[in-house]
Amino acid sequence: MLASEKRSLIRFLVIYLASTLLLFSLASWIFYSSTKHHLLDKQRDRIVYEAEGIKSKLRGLHQSNDVTLYYPNHSEIDSAIYDLDKKYIFGTFEPPVDLDTMLKKDRLYYLSKVEPYYLGAAYLLTARNIDYVPIYALQKQILFFLLLAGLVFSTLGYFLGRLFVSPMRDAIARMNLFIQDTTHELNTPISTILTNIEMIETFGKHEENMDELKRIEIASMTLSRIYDDLTYLNLNHQYYRKIEKLNIGVLLKERLVYFTSMLEVKKIDTVLNIQDDITLNIDKNDALRLVDNLLSNAIKYNKRYGKLNVILDDTMLCIGDTGIGMSKNDLSEVKQRFKRANKSEGGFGIGLHIVSQVCENYDFDLQIESTINEGTEVKIVW
Amino acid sequence: MVKSIWFIVAVTMSVHAQDADVQRDCLSCHQTQQIPNSLIYKRYLMKYSTKTAIENAMIKYLKNPKKSESIMPSAFFLKFPMRKGLIMPETMLHQNIRSFIETFDVKKKLKIKVN
Repeated sequence: MLASEKRSLIRFLVIYLASTLLLFSLASWIFYSSTKHHLLDKQRDRIVYEAEGIKSKLRGLHQSNDVTLYYPNHSEIDSAIYDLDKKYIFGTFEPPVDLDTMLKKDRLYYLSKVEPYYLGAAYLLTARNIDYVPIYALQKQILFFLLLAGLVFSTLGYFLGRLFVSPMRDAIARMNLFIQDTTHELNTPISTILTNIEMIETFGKHEENMDELKRIEIASMTLSRIYDDLTYLNLNHQYYRKIEKLNIGVLLKERLVYFTSMLEVKKIDTVLNIQDDITLNIDKNDALRLVDNLLSNAIKYNKRYGKLNVILDDTMLCIGDTGIGMSKNDLSEVKQRFKRANKSEGGFGIGLHIVSQVCENYDFDLQIESTINEGTEVKIVW
Repeated sequence: MVKSIWFIVAVTMSVHAQDADVQRDCLSCHQTQQIPNSLIYKRYLMKYSTKTAIENAMIKYLKNPKKSESIMPSAFFLKFPMRKGLIMPETMLHQNIRSFIETFDVKKKLKIKVN
């Protein structure tokens, strides 16, 4: 699976599952609240029923002439009677409950009026402990349902996601195939042109056509780099990397010589601050792509008579230009594949994508700062 | 210690003295006429609920007895004649009524059956 495809699939799954979870959670919460109230109402109905029974027994006690009056006692339900001033008369609560502070957690209360006032009782308070067994059973049921729904919808979402990204996968596969074919077809003519230019420069009489030859050479070098970049992109994760100690200072200077023709055409002044002994453990092709793309961008988007600043020390490589620069919006997207911040110059928009991939592979920190019409500075910190 | 003993003796004697007053001033006559005191108290209790309300209702009735304000049904007075308003010092009247209420207080009779 391609990285972009994987990313799209993960994004889709996150949005899809989060919205589904939110919807199911909301529905479950409404169902839970309603069912819990129903269960509590059933338990409350029981104490209402028992309260009526106690009232009936109070009537019997009131009419009794016995020396001792046995107050109705229930194993699950506590009760107490209060006079018209809500003063406690008698009850089974331990300790006696004050009507104003009776509300306690985990208990259900029912206060009813007694009329007439048997035994002087104007109010009867009944209470019982909440039976949590059915509520816990309900919670388990809902949790099980949510887990099951989560499993079903995750599986469904995964297959739906794969289905949705399949056109994108096909398009990318077709494009990769096209790039592969194109690069293969480009390789031979570019090599032929470059070799012949070199032969003319070495053996031929070229003084009269020096400028034309330079332009052909620059164009061929550009084509050659595009070929290298496209090949690198196409084979990025598939070719063998030989990690070795590489002197970056030497490589940087070599590549600056390689870009001399382009620098001369644009009359760009180079300011170099390169330490020679900087080595990195890196594959040579990766280092080449990194340096070439940074230098090529700094030359391509520079102004005529601009400046190219190259700094290399033991902590970082910094390449800056005094060119057209980029906006903040472009900066956030510039590392994406085929993204071109400025279309005035040629290119495929793969240079900084390759740079960011190399940085990612070697855990380098890529920092880009840019101001429109002032220039861009790319810093790679290792 | 001696003071405490004297205080307890004084309170006990005072309570007993009050009970004796009620017995002399009210209940002795009721018993002679076979008037059911417990029943009267329960009727008051069923109508007024609180001791204060019962006390006020009794005082009002005893000072100016009327069939319409009596707690007993009118048929009761066919057997037991309506007596005249009670002439008794206010403090003593209050004391007697409180003592009467305490004597027949159902709260003292209420118990929880231990299973």
